[in-house]
Amino acid sequence: MIDPAWVSGLSALLFVIGLAGAFTRKNAIIVLMCIELMLNAANMQFAAAAVHHGDSTGWVYTLFAIAIAASEVAIGLAIFLAMYGQHESITLDDVNVLKN
Amino acid sequence: MSDWISIPLVGLPLISSMVLLAFTANASESARAKMGDSIRWVTLAFSLAMLAVTTAMFFGSLESNMLDWSTMTFGSFNFEYRYTWIESLGIHWSVGLDALSFPMVWLTTFLLPITIIATWNEKNPTTYFPLLLMMGGALIGVFVALDLFMFYVFWELTLIPMFFLILKWGGVDRKYAAQKFFIYTFTASVVMLLGLVTLYFLQPDSALLYSGTWTGRTFDIPTLISHAHLANTEGWFLGESMQKVLFVMLMLGFLVKLPSVPFHTWLPDAHVQAPTGGSMLLAGVMLKMGAYGMFRLPLAMFPHALEYFQLALMLFGMVSLVWGAIVCLGQTNLKKMVAYSSVSHMGVICIGIATMQPLGWAAALFMMFAHGIISPMLFAVCGAFKHHYHSMEIGAMRGMAKHSPWLATSMMFAWMASLGLPLLAGFVAELMMFLALWHFIAAEGWSVLWMVGPALVLALTAAYYLWSMQRTIFEGGDETQPPASLHGEAVPDISDSEKFAMIVMAVFTILFGVMPWIALDMMHGWTVTFFETILAPSIGGA
Amino acid sequence: MGGTSSSEIIVQSTAAEYAPLILLLPMLAFPVILFLGKVFNGNPFWKNNLKEGGLIALTVMGASLILALAVARDFIGGFSSMEELSEWVWFTSATWESTTMMTKEISFGFGVHIDHITVMLLFIAAFLCFLINTFAIGYMNTDPINDNRNHRFYAEFVLFCSGMLGMVLADSFLWLFIFWELMGLCSYLLIGFYYERPSAAYAAKKAFLTTRVGDVFLMVGLAMLWGMFGSLDYDVIFNALEDENFMAGISSSTLQWTLGLMFIGAVGKSAQFPLHVWLPDAMEGPTPVSALIHAATMVNAGLYLVARMFPFFGAEALHGDLVDLAFIIAAIGGITAVMAAAIAFVQNDLKKVLAYSTMSQLAYIFTGLGCALWLANSLDWHHDSKAHGIVIVAFGAALFHLFNHAMAKGMLFMASGAVIHEVHHAHHHLHHHDDHQHESKHPKELVMLNDYLEQTGQTVYEFFKSIDLDGSGEIDMYEFQTALKNAEIADLPPWETEPLLAAIDLDGNEKINVPELEITLGNLKMDDHDHHEEEFDAQSMENMGGLASKMPITATAMLVGSLSIMGFPLIGGFWSKEGIIANAWRVALEDPRFFFPAACVLLGAGMTGFYMSRMWLKTFAGSPKTEVAAHVAPTNTWIKTPLFLLTFVSLAGIIFAGMGFTHWAPDEGYAPFFDGKKGLMEGILYEMEHAFANHDSFFFILSYVALILGAIIGPGLALSLYGGSLDEGEQAKPWFGPILALNAAIKGRYHWDNSALAQSSLATALSNRLYFDHYYDMAMLKIVAAFSFKAAEADSGVIDGAIKSIERGSQNLSTRVRALTTGSARDYILMAAVGTLALFGLIWGVA
Repeated sequence: MIDPAWVSGLSALLFVIGLAGAFTRKNAIIVLMCIELMLNAANMQFAAAAVHHGDSTGWVYTLFAIAIAASEVAIGLAIFLAMYGQHESITLDDVNVLKN
Repeated sequence: MSDWISIPLVGLPLISSMVLLAFTANASESARAKMGDSIRWVTLAFSLAMLAVTTAMFFGSLESNMLDWSTMTFGSFNFEYRYTWIESLGIHWSVGLDALSFPMVWLTTFLLPITIIATWNEKNPTTYFPLLLMMGGALIGVFVALDLFMFYVFWELTLIPMFFLILKWGGVDRKYAAQKFFIYTFTASVVMLLGLVTLYFLQPDSALLYSGTWTGRTFDIPTLISHAHLANTEGWFLGESMQKVLFVMLMLGFLVKLPSVPFHTWLPDAHVQAPTGGSMLLAGVMLKMGAYGMFRLPLAMFPHALEYFQLALMLFGMVSLVWGAIVCLGQTNLKKMVAYSSVSHMGVICIGIATMQPLGWAAALFMMFAHGIISPMLFAVCGAFKHHYHSMEIGAMRGMAKHSPWLATSMMFAWMASLGLPLLAGFVAELMMFLALWHFIAAEGWSVLWMVGPALVLALTAAYYLWSMQRTIFEGGDETQPPASLHGEAVPDISDSEKFAMIVMAVFTILFGVMPWIALDMMHGWTVTFFETILAPSIGGA
Repeated sequence: MGGTSSSEIIVQSTAAEYAPLILLLPMLAFPVILFLGKVFNGNPFWKNNLKEGGLIALTVMGASLILALAVARDFIGGFSSMEELSEWVWFTSATWESTTMMTKEISFGFGVHIDHITVMLLFIAAFLCFLINTFAIGYMNTDPINDNRNHRFYAEFVLFCSGMLGMVLADSFLWLFIFWELMGLCSYLLIGFYYERPSAAYAAKKAFLTTRVGDVFLMVGLAMLWGMFGSLDYDVIFNALEDENFMAGISSSTLQWTLGLMFIGAVGKSAQFPLHVWLPDAMEGPTPVSALIHAATMVNAGLYLVARMFPFFGAEALHGDLVDLAFIIAAIGGITAVMAAAIAFVQNDLKKVLAYSTMSQLAYIFTGLGCALWLANSLDWHHDSKAHGIVIVAFGAALFHLFNHAMAKGMLFMASGAVIHEVHHAHHHLHHHDDHQHESKHPKELVMLNDYLEQTGQTVYEFFKSIDLDGSGEIDMYEFQTALKNAEIADLPPWETEPLLAAIDLDGNEKINVPELEITLGNLKMDDHDHHEEEFDAQSMENMGGLASKMPITATAMLVGSLSIMGFPLIGGFWSKEGIIANAWRVALEDPRFFFPAACVLLGAGMTGFYMSRMWLKTFAGSPKTEVAAHVAPTNTWIKTPLFLLTFVSLAGIIFAGMGFTHWAPDEGYAPFFDGKKGLMEGILYEMEHAFANHDSFFFILSYVALILGAIIGPGLALSLYGGSLDEGEQAKPWFGPILALNAAIKGRYHWDNSALAQSSLATALSNRLYFDHYYDMAMLKIVAAFSFKAAEADSGVIDGAIKSIERGSQNLSTRVRALTTGSARDYILMAAVGTLALFGLIWGVA
């Protein structure tokens, strides 16, 4: 059995990578991928905790998160398409309609 | 007994104005142009009906069992009526008239038709006249309210028509002035609201018995005053520090409205930008809401705090009186000068209250009333200058008496009335204030110089009024100087409707100057019983 | 009065019941005349038959006069103070008395109070209002400048009369003040009657503001008086003064301050130093106004107020406490008497001389009152009958001088008005003639051309260049014709252009060059300028002279009035002036401080003699100084009648004196003419004996010193400097003979050179009115106005600035906060992350 600490460490690493990516990348698709990465880091943590505690609640949450992630991707991609239609770009820096 | 206040005096102007506004809102330009005249006549008819009601109230011909105004005491009301409004919070629609509010209500109904007539040719009549009517209804609502909640609602409601009057019919800087007027007074009212809500929640246990509410508390002003009175005879109502804090919070709201120096700077801006009708109602009635509020709430409920802050109030009054007059002398704009003169006169009210004498209070009440007749005339004159000469700069024109004898005569009369000429209404109030002030100063053992200071303001007032007259209507015969803004057109005199309004205001200024007892008798009875029932048991002497 | 209040005799008098009508009638006439004038302005019936309201005013003033005479008759018949008991309550209020823990009701009402002072002033006011109204009809309605606005004059005139009569009749200091202010308003309106003149507008403002400064102190004094006595009614206060228990609680020093502040009001209203500056300027008003308001009635209001204070000084409880105030009153009088007389020396304006004379004579009355008040306050006059007589005589002398001065000065002003009126007419007549010459001299086209150049702002050279079409440097007829056409002056045929061209063409070559045009237009301008500059001053004595033969009635009236003011023996003012001087010295012997006012009034007597004589001689004697003066015609009947009447009033001074006017202060100890105990002849003999053969050697010498100063030295100096015999062939009334002969004799023989004195710095200072006006104006401009402008700046800069900085501060804050929303998704993610971390940190920290 792998020590849960390792799994937690890995999921933290994945989360930070995802977070850093979400901060730094300009392309909306890559930012979306990074967000997926963070979600998966959380899923991994849920799964590890479920195994560790022998409680299936963790699995349920993981399933929910995957389902939400899937719908999020769908909506996200739709937004990006609409964004492309409006701004002819999916570079996030070009889209700051909320500024000030 | 029927309710002569809610519908005829408050509901009628508010509802009819909204109906008229809604009715004309979607009309086309040409339709509006056609409707202008009928709207004028309709609003005039409504306002005259209101005047008829209040005048009938004065002569006692509406109710068989109403009290005689001149013998009315503090705490008794004519035409009192109560409807439950929000039962769960103890809020009622509660109206009534006493010797404090009746003169103000009559004044409002008197000024409303006068204002409509004086500004008969104002542009956009389809919105202007309904807004004036709405203004009148809201103002009357403030004066007749006997419920704190209702009082506050109407207090804020007055801001809305005035805001639009300034914003839509104002001068060049009207946007700034309207916003400043709204935000400044609104901020002060919010402080007052906090005070009112605190008062509501802190009212003593006896009030909790008040049935039918979830909170067990009431907004009813007479009830609150009687609770406060009971508590005050044994100590400080709500405790010493809380009473002081509440007094300050309420007075802040009222002093800004009055306005007293240093909270006065919204007034000149608002007046200079406001249209004539707005200025007339603003100076005539709206400023008096401040003094009215003081008498209605803090003075009646917090006599201990009043005694504690007496000197501060005196200071506010003196500073307003002197500073307002000095600043007047330095003005170059006619309307601004008149606006500052209002600040100076409101200082008289403040001093009158601070003397803590029935004489001083009656002086303050009479000043509210007299200034309510005189200052609209001042602004009507300013408005006529603006309207006909397109200029209000003092010195931009000379010798106008030659071209516009009516305007010059009106100006002379209004100016003389405002500088306190005997046998005109303003003098009585100033005289009483001086007597009360001397009574106060002698009792305190102060130097007579404290009298000479405010008295010299009378000379200063004469100086700025006479100086401005010399530089506008006098000087120059054949080579008179019509303002450049006329571009060489013939100099007009005021229109017939303006003449009529001026004459009516002048007649009433003389009437109340020669026969002040018409209004003073009821004020006298009210102030004396106020002192005997409220102040005497609480503080044991002024 | 000391005596009457103790014996409270109320005489039933129908006249007293109708007394309020005396002031109500003119007050009601005010709106009537104004309204009718507004409606019927220009209507021939209104204008010619009703004299634009003048006859309505005259009727009303006549009714007032009759009522006033009825009141006076009843008063003299009953000879006691009367009070209209049914008071009209004006308003009621209450004070809170902390000692008794009760409210105390106070009320102010109006009623009529009639005592000897009232009757004296009432008669003066009603009589002069009536006479001056008559005069005004002759004066105002014959001057075309007043056409169609006389109704305003008469309306304001009757309102003024109502104010004056009301002030005299009022039964409380409050209503005295109210009518006092009403008079101030009318004075303002009437001085500014010719409001289009900047000088009149300025003078009106100055008069109102200067008196207002005094009124402010009066108002403070009234408040203090009310604070002490709890009322402002005469009878309440005067009864309280007799009440020893009550008076024990009164601080006499506070009372002295109170009366002193009230006296400042009197100083302003009666134009005494240092608030005297308004009176000379007030002469901007029409002459009837100067006669009535600024000589005969309103300026007496201050004296009336001081006279009303007599019971305070006479009260036993205040014995000796108010002597300082009495001295101040006398000293202010003394200073003003000399100062005003000195300024009158150098005035050339007829009305201004009279204005300063008014100021000086009022100062005499103040000195007289001050002395009477001193005597009342320091002598034991309630018990000592000799002291009693002294006090009564001192007070009576001052009041009698008020009477004499009002009559004489009203007459003098009316006479001066007649002179000015006729000089003005004569000038108008001649001037009209001038105008024709003026027009024929310059063709109107050239005048228009000049105006055209001024309007367009072109120089002559530019204009010349623009019209010189062929560039020859000279303008021929065609070019000139075209130029006039282009400038839209005239489109003239050649034969009409020719004379124009000739008018410009100086060298006669039928062409115009630049210098010719410049010279012609320059001449035109200069003539135009002269025409404006040469504005004839109909009031300047430099333009008069030798009028005695042309206006005999006016000259006689002026002579009698002047003699009365000078104190010429047996004529009006003599009796009262001698009395004032004698009393001043009597007090000076007791209180050395009074040497100052006493010396002033004695010196003033000589000065009065000089300037009044100077005025008469410059106006009526000698040869006409201008062409205009030679063409003056006699005046009309409306003007003559009052002059005629008043001449006799002044001449009858000895009869009034014999009737006991010098003792016009009733009490039970004094039995004057009216009760029949002393005959008229007896009274006259008594007065003559006192005046010319006083038993006391000091007063014997004093009366002759005053007489020599006022009736011989002063006029003698004037006779030697001014006037002279009339021109050959001019006939004068026989009574002028001795004067003119004396004048001619002295002027030639004792002529001395006063040019050095006339150019001294003192004379300059005097003609600049001792610079008071200058410094007051400077103080107003540099201090008050400058400060107010700074205050206005501070108000918008500092107070509103603070509000604006709150506005700006909140705006800046919101701008900053707003900058956080970058609109970039990544920034929001970062914020969310940081926020979440911070939340975790917080929870962790708390846990």
